[in-house]
Amino acid sequence: MFWHNFKYSIKTLARNKMLLFWTFAFPIILGTLFSMAFSGVENGEKLDIINIAIVESEYFNDDEIFNETFKNLSDENNESRLFNITYTDLDNSKQMLEDEKIVGYLEFKENDVDITVKSSGVNETILKLVVDEVISQKKMIETLITKEIENTISSGNFNVDYDQIYNNVINVIASSEANLNNISSDNLSYIMIEFYTLIAMAALYGGVISMFITNYKLANMSAVGKRTSITPIHKGSMLLGSLLASYFVQLIGMGLLFLYTIFVLNVDYGSNLLLVILLALVGSLAGLALGVFVATIFKTNENTKMGILIAFTMLCSFLSGMMGITMKYVVDKNIPILNIINPASMITDGFYSLYYYDTLDRFYFNLISLIIFSALMIFISYSGLRRQKYDSI
Amino acid sequence: MKKVIEVKNLSKYYKELKAIDDLSFDVYKGEILGLLGPNGSGKSTTINCLLSLLNYQNGSIKIFGKEMKPDSYDLKRKIGVIFQEVAVFEELTVYENIDYFCGLYIKDKNMRKKYVEEVINLVEIKEFKKFYPKQLSGGLLRRLNIACGIAHKPELIFLDEPTVAVDPQSRNNILSGIKKLRDNGATIIYTTHYMEEAEILCDRIIILDKGKILAQGTSDELKKLANIEEKITVEVKDLSDKVLEDIKNIDEVDSVVLSQNLLVITYRKGKNNLENLIDYLKKNKVTYSKIFSERPTLNDVFLELTGKELRD
Repeated sequence: MFWHNFKYSIKTLARNKMLLFWTFAFPIILGTLFSMAFSGVENGEKLDIINIAIVESEYFNDDEIFNETFKNLSDENNESRLFNITYTDLDNSKQMLEDEKIVGYLEFKENDVDITVKSSGVNETILKLVVDEVISQKKMIETLITKEIENTISSGNFNVDYDQIYNNVINVIASSEANLNNISSDNLSYIMIEFYTLIAMAALYGGVISMFITNYKLANMSAVGKRTSITPIHKGSMLLGSLLASYFVQLIGMGLLFLYTIFVLNVDYGSNLLLVILLALVGSLAGLALGVFVATIFKTNENTKMGILIAFTMLCSFLSGMMGITMKYVVDKNIPILNIINPASMITDGFYSLYYYDTLDRFYFNLISLIIFSALMIFISYSGLRRQKYDSI
Repeated sequence: MKKVIEVKNLSKYYKELKAIDDLSFDVYKGEILGLLGPNGSGKSTTINCLLSLLNYQNGSIKIFGKEMKPDSYDLKRKIGVIFQEVAVFEELTVYENIDYFCGLYIKDKNMRKKYVEEVINLVEIKEFKKFYPKQLSGGLLRRLNIACGIAHKPELIFLDEPTVAVDPQSRNNILSGIKKLRDNGATIIYTTHYMEEAEILCDRIIILDKGKILAQGTSDELKKLANIEEKITVEVKDLSDKVLEDIKNIDEVDSVVLSQNLLVITYRKGKNNLENLIDYLKKNKVTYSKIFSERPTLNDVFLELTGKELRD
């Protein structure tokens, strides 16, 4: 019975031209357009030197890691030079930003760094990512120093040589693969950010498929749903078969998107391709779960549900920085919980983390968050479905 | 006779609105029970409650002697439903649609194949097996809808207005198909607002209005409630007031209505009303082009019970 339902669900989905367009064709068309629009940029792109300002303050001067990092990234002799930095006061920084002489400025506070930019774009994104990375490395250094001191003391040596420990730690970091210069390497360019956005969007579009197929199982949503509701098949089993079919179709769409971008558009996903695919698969699961959730929980007609799903997906995408990463920064800064519970943010953050962090911790954190999100959506949907009776048919 | 369905004191409310008001009735094995009533009388709501698709506030429903609940899968296995709306997948062919729904009841592939072929022959859509629903006419679509509901050979079949918006040829085909199902042993509940269908098809009829049972019985039993013997319709050219007045004054006549050229005379009683009327018209030199007599219909019963037409 499960396979019978699975087989016919696949047939139903595979023959629905509207779904095929949105799942298979639309991301490919969009990818082609991205490729056409940005290929010129990409070819000529070795990132421009970005003009920024740093507000002079004791906090910045005391922060050796930031100091050294930005000195290095703005060194004229550095082939991977990223920034042209003006060290000035706050008022002048504001004026320079207003006059568009800089893309943004950094203001250091006691335990924090404020980034101020005027608009969203690649340069602003890079500035934000560099600051994030330095903060992350700072934390790592602090942790390593603490551990070194603990080890020294626990070995019975109470004459701690702090300079030696600091140098050891710096050496460890210097010898690690993580390197801020990666940011200027050609792995994560503007076009790659767009492709990752595309993959995230395609993953969340899985919700459209699952909502379509779930509506076919709900008595108050379709005549077919009414008919299936009076068959001797357990709702959960019926839904599971249909959802696996949806996932299968979604994965085919995602597979085609990867094949097309790799072999036709020559997109280079770098050495992380398998992890990128893994995140796309789990992201698709989250999209699918979201579709089921909207289909089962909201008691309204199909068009309204579609509107809710699309609006929610777009809002999540917007907040996750798909239309400009500055928004992601603003959310991170003011309402960080939103990025933690936002599936679109989990996907994009996961992709970017592959490029900007030296460990996979953040990647796996996003991956697991997506799995928990999916499980939660499906659990709520199933509970709702079990209790559902149809007050108006 | 063995009861297949027992409904006792069933009530269903939507806030203030009483959709079903204290319904009690039984359905016996092998009969076609008609639920007749105008739109909004509670027919479909009753069916949905019986199928456990809708909650209800009071009463009890037993099917095949067991309480009907959403998870009564053993009962659902014996039930087939044909809803008013066409419930098929647009993306599947005629054959695939029937096979899909049949497959939700019948596991054995060979048996399912046999059942699907049989029902395709029963509703006469063999030459359309590979067609998609959107390629079918309204009548053929209805036949497909029915085939999807009965392919698994259910013992109890619910048909909720299956002939709405169907051409006469397809309607006759559907009605004869339903009779065949009954002849093969199925018990059928048939809801309609077409009184002619209820009369032709149903062994017993329940007349519903505003969620209440107004009357129930066989067609002949119900017609007795109309309180009239016959209706005679005459197509006349000119009719004087005097003649009209004379007819009204006949003892057996209940009412006389002249609308354009049609004169409709309702008789409360009398055995030779048609003959007497023809004599009278001849004697008074009233020319007429048509004259015919009708027995009371279920519409007359409804009119008598509620004061309004069934299709109002």
